[in-house]
Amino acid sequence: MPLSKKKIGIVCPYGWDTPGGVQSHVGDLAEYLIRQGHHVSVLAPAIDDEKLPDYVTSAGRPISIPYNGAVARILFGPIAFSRVRQWIQAGDFDVLHLHEPAIPSISLLACWAAEGPMVGTFHAAAKRQKVSFAVVPFLEPVIEKLTARIAVSEAARETLREHLETDAIVVPNGIYASRYSDAHVDPRWTGNTLGFMGRFEEKRKGLDILIAALPTIISQIPDLRIFVAGPGDSKEVLKDIDPYLRDRFSFLGRISESEKADFLASVGLYIAPNTGGESFGIILAEALAAGASVIASDIPAFDSLLGHGDFGTLFTSEDPADLARQVIALLQDEPGRRAIAERGKIFAQNFDWEVVAEKIYDVYEMAMVGGNGVSLLSENRAWNRFLGRQQ
Amino acid sequence: MSKYFPLILFILFIGWYLSYSATRLDRLHHRVETSWANLDGLLQRRAAIAIEIARSDISDPASAMLLTFAAHQARDASFRDRSQAEMGLTGALGILIESADDISGPIEKDLILELTDLTAKIKMAIAMHVEAVSRTHMVRKKWFIRVFRLAGNAPEPVTYEFEGDVL
Repeated sequence: MPLSKKKIGIVCPYGWDTPGGVQSHVGDLAEYLIRQGHHVSVLAPAIDDEKLPDYVTSAGRPISIPYNGAVARILFGPIAFSRVRQWIQAGDFDVLHLHEPAIPSISLLACWAAEGPMVGTFHAAAKRQKVSFAVVPFLEPVIEKLTARIAVSEAARETLREHLETDAIVVPNGIYASRYSDAHVDPRWTGNTLGFMGRFEEKRKGLDILIAALPTIISQIPDLRIFVAGPGDSKEVLKDIDPYLRDRFSFLGRISESEKADFLASVGLYIAPNTGGESFGIILAEALAAGASVIASDIPAFDSLLGHGDFGTLFTSEDPADLARQVIALLQDEPGRRAIAERGKIFAQNFDWEVVAEKIYDVYEMAMVGGNGVSLLSENRAWNRFLGRQQ
Repeated sequence: MSKYFPLILFILFIGWYLSYSATRLDRLHHRVETSWANLDGLLQRRAAIAIEIARSDISDPASAMLLTFAAHQARDASFRDRSQAEMGLTGALGILIESADDISGPIEKDLILELTDLTAKIKMAIAMHVEAVSRTHMVRKKWFIRVFRLAGNAPEPVTYEFEGDVL
């Protein structure tokens, strides 16, 4: 791809030490670009500076604050701001890639401080909140500085349009598709099994909807078993379940990346009953890449990822009766299920990093046209001179 | 003296805000120009590829003529007629590619591949340009920007009517 090697600066707003979608996206993207021969530097908050990969620079310790219905580990304030400015100054980047620049974080600070080719990626999909009326006038001139905007999904693009009245190019999140398509089928998990992954204690992951649908499903599929992978306290969940359902559940806890691939490739049906709060649904892309049959709630993110039902089955969100009906139909129709999964596996190649990173790099290239690299904003420079700060 | 202090602060703030807004507007105008230059370059490349396709074995004499004509028209069009001409070229290319599904020969395949690549980039470039133009329009409409003539002599950017999705 690249004829010339570029210096690329990426800002990740969330703490590097905590696992999360944005963090792994940034990490994978940075590693891909480095393999292509570019110079990549990532700026992110981090608790432990020692454990960071070479390409990550710490911006300081993140603070946990509640934001948008979850606890976000982010960072801002004057010290962070001066770190951001130092990093931009020292990096001498050709292009700056800011993730989630519309939340109070180092991404926003970087967007404020820098000038030149800048690309912003918007991950979140959220309903319009009252407070955004108050912050939009401040955000607008800052977000406007982005040369190009990327949204990870149609849902994120819609959010951006509603909140900030600006459009974006949709480039999906990336996965390493080969990791999943080469997965091994593990007989422990095959048969009439349902697979579920994620922090099952969180209400929006929708495990309780699956549980509500179970009695109906089991009346038709007596040998059904359910495997739940992900961190959480299984006793809490099990104690509210009807005793005769309990022994059908197996909780696997947190599983490794390779186990995850095998898990997705093996289960009879992968189920994602999420009730909302998803912007992209990377796990569904991974499940498709592994060749799994997928059933998911029809929330906007899943609906568009599954091609409105072409690559996986959709059920009415938060409706256990519909879920039960669809699961029974799918488990009783092996050839039909396989056919959808085969289509999905091919479709999932679109999410491979080879494709996604090239698209992102295309956006970089466009942003870089006519730009002479990233520098600190001249306004700030004038003030710095005035205040006698060192450049 | 101290009773004028808030007033002085206020005037200073107004001054800062005006200079800030002027910088913002200047940046937007700059973006309109660079994004247009980018789009223009890509469209020129597309016209060049179209002519190459016309000369290759993909096209029969009739569509070759049509394509060459459309490509030259797109290249020579004035700014005003540009979008019309580019859409004409899009149409001509579309007809050709749809009808020629059994394209053989490595050179022809490369051409088609390059064209699809370019089309994706053009779509992005259009999105970026349209965004820059509409932003600039929006900011220019603000009353204080008009009253203080912060846009200066910069010409009003022209919305490029390109139906991005027809490509």
